[in-house]
Amino acid sequence: MLANVGHAAVVIGLAVSLFAAAASVLAARSGDIGLATAGRRAVYVACGLSAIACGVMVIALLGHDFSILYVARNNATTTPPFYSFISLWAALEGSILFWTLLLTAWSSLLLYRYRSAHPALMPWAAACLAVVAAFFFAVMTWPGDPFVSVTPVAGEGNGPNALLQNHPFMGLHPPLLYLGYTGLAIPFALTVAALVTRRLEAEWLTLVRRWTLVPWIFLTAGIVAGAWWSYEVLGWGGYWAWDPVENAALLPWLTATAFIHSAMVAERGRSLRTWTVILVTTTFVLTLLGTFLTRSGVIESVHSFTQSAIGAWFLAGVLGALVVGAVLVVWRLPDLAGTGSPPALVSRESAFLLNNLLFAGLAFAVLFGTLYPLVAEALSGERLSVGAPWFNRVSAPFFAALLFLAGVGPALPWGAASWGTLRDRFVAPALVGLAFATLGAVAGLRGAAPLLTLGLAGFSATALLREVVRAARGRSRSSGEGWIRAAWGVATRNRRRYGGYLAHLGVLVAAVAVAVSASGSVQATAVLNPGQSASLAGYTVTHRDLVREPLAADPRVFETRAEVDVRGKQVGTVRPALRDYPNSVAAIATPTVMTSVGEDFYLTLMAYDPDTGAVTLRLFINPLVAWIWVGGAVVVLGAGFAIWPGRRAAVSAASVAATEKA
Amino acid sequence: MRAARWLLVPLLAIPLGWVLFMGLGRDPSEVPSPLIGKPVPSFALTTLDGESFTADDLIGRPAVINFWASWCIPACVDEHPVLMDTAARYPDEVLLVGILYDDTPQDALDFLVRYGDGGWPQVDDPSGSVALAFGVFFPPETFFVDADGIVRAKHYGPLTEASMARNLALIGVGP
Repeated sequence: MLANVGHAAVVIGLAVSLFAAAASVLAARSGDIGLATAGRRAVYVACGLSAIACGVMVIALLGHDFSILYVARNNATTTPPFYSFISLWAALEGSILFWTLLLTAWSSLLLYRYRSAHPALMPWAAACLAVVAAFFFAVMTWPGDPFVSVTPVAGEGNGPNALLQNHPFMGLHPPLLYLGYTGLAIPFALTVAALVTRRLEAEWLTLVRRWTLVPWIFLTAGIVAGAWWSYEVLGWGGYWAWDPVENAALLPWLTATAFIHSAMVAERGRSLRTWTVILVTTTFVLTLLGTFLTRSGVIESVHSFTQSAIGAWFLAGVLGALVVGAVLVVWRLPDLAGTGSPPALVSRESAFLLNNLLFAGLAFAVLFGTLYPLVAEALSGERLSVGAPWFNRVSAPFFAALLFLAGVGPALPWGAASWGTLRDRFVAPALVGLAFATLGAVAGLRGAAPLLTLGLAGFSATALLREVVRAARGRSRSSGEGWIRAAWGVATRNRRRYGGYLAHLGVLVAAVAVAVSASGSVQATAVLNPGQSASLAGYTVTHRDLVREPLAADPRVFETRAEVDVRGKQVGTVRPALRDYPNSVAAIATPTVMTSVGEDFYLTLMAYDPDTGAVTLRLFINPLVAWIWVGGAVVVLGAGFAIWPGRRAAVSAASVAATEKA
Repeated sequence: MRAARWLLVPLLAIPLGWVLFMGLGRDPSEVPSPLIGKPVPSFALTTLDGESFTADDLIGRPAVINFWASWCIPACVDEHPVLMDTAARYPDEVLLVGILYDDTPQDALDFLVRYGDGGWPQVDDPSGSVALAFGVFFPPETFFVDADGIVRAKHYGPLTEASMARNLALIGVGP
């Protein structure tokens, strides 16, 4: 019964999306307002239908309705409600369903927001978004049907993927990531509209910039939350492994970040238009490629490709988007040609250009490393994998240069910089950077990478803060306000600029934390009988007891945990565990992390002997890791500050509304 | 020239489509080890006794290569008697080799003192490069190699008498 409702919603959703696409194209070509309205409303209906389908799936999951195959495979009667709910996006078909909901919700938001604005662009954007939605509805109608029924109905289901029911972060990380992924369809649709209508003007650029920044915030938060999840759950003591799943999220983030910067140059003249269009298109293609690479976004999957026909469909989708984007760009190349002259060598423009080259180069390198095993196997039949060391080595120079630019770019003037300006703005930051690196060396940091990172971060942070102080001092002098009030006043008057600075500061904090934690991490393995102790860098762990019992929240899960006393800079009793799930051959690690300002003490139970109670523990001391999450949060905060509607924007929006009414 | 720019579209789409299409057929989980049917990866290491040991030493008779560690309890402890038994039963027919996985020689020697040393070569792999070449994720993992040096089977997790006998048969060793 439920399955029929869900299935009907999906099939009608496909029909409605196709109608929305057709009506919008006709409306765009004829200028018929009635048709445009019909197309727009059809998109709302598609959103409602995917919400119904998602609702049906959630009801089925919470009610353990094993007549639906997806529920039988991903749920059990003992699954707690929270994990039942998030199973909506924890496996392939459900994640496509959830994905469609988010995509149509973004689309509806865009179309509703501008229902009486941008009459030339919106019908084409609606058509493009409706086609994308139709693609996902079609996937769910044919190869990836989430509502396949089974008879006879089993009394018990298989239960959720063991790895994905082990941490509440599963409730946070995928929705954030998906909001980012799906939201990036909006700038693509707006760009398709602008290319078709040849309206590649400020109107388009402003819209695209704003509608890229919002999904970018979600994507950033999703990536950071994913790294955190991997750190808290997987038990290997790290947070980023250059796994294809991670790269799939990083790739569109890199190109979208490049776009956010290039848009600022493009807005100031007619230069970089072609490049900007290419970035927006590439970003969207990369989101689809990411879903393809990771078996359509099934989170943290094994590194294999999907075995179902969905793979072929997504392949067609990726190529379709690529071909449409490329054809449109090539078609409109004459309209996109820049008129500006090349910027002065030392100027903010050239800093932006360099920034874009670096982001694009890094994206290309990551894409190359991710696809290389496929190319190699296709050419020579040889199986190989490109590992983290390769990615680290290749990306390090890019990241170093970007850290440098994070401070240089904002402090350089538009136009051309004189030697006097340069000396004025960069001598002090350079000295601070040197001091930072020296202090780091004195404090015991070893190796070029963390010292260089520390120096560059000190340099860039000083350059940024100097800009804020300079502006605040100016305002304080003229208005007589206090320093803090003046700084706040300056920042809220130009939210984009100072939000950007804040985001840069977050990046600097995270970069230092990444470099220091990577180089300063120490680890050890200890085999301990009950009562025995082991030491690592000032910490002593004592294995008290091995406890084996079913989990209170889900008795089908058997937990084996070591009760361990920790003495050192942090003190406490922790219980690293291995959990045996009935549907998983391998036990799932449940590491414990003790966090302090300076370092994490991270403990994983690797193996145990049930007869003697002996355990194998892996101990990690990871310096500064918590600051990676703090830095990520600051980036999100900065970007949020930048797009928060300021007084000026609110006033202009109000005046626009007033004129529209009048 | 104006027409030439349209070439960009197929130039982008065809290689990407081809690469991704080739990827569709891949399934790493289906093939337990990509090494099966292939020669043993070459390596040159040192045994705990200080003698050199290379992949060439495996040629000439069937071999069982066991990746293990002293910290891997209870799995490596559980399978140890199976390995001892095989070494005793087929002293000349099969060559056993132990390769340490992320372990120190001293800990490994302590393990052998405690649980018994069957006398087969125990090889240290300090950089982990041999484990990487074999694609070992977590010990114990055991490879069965025939007399020509071709990998015939891979076993994950602790060996039991049954799994040992089944895999030995694949490399021509058995009653």
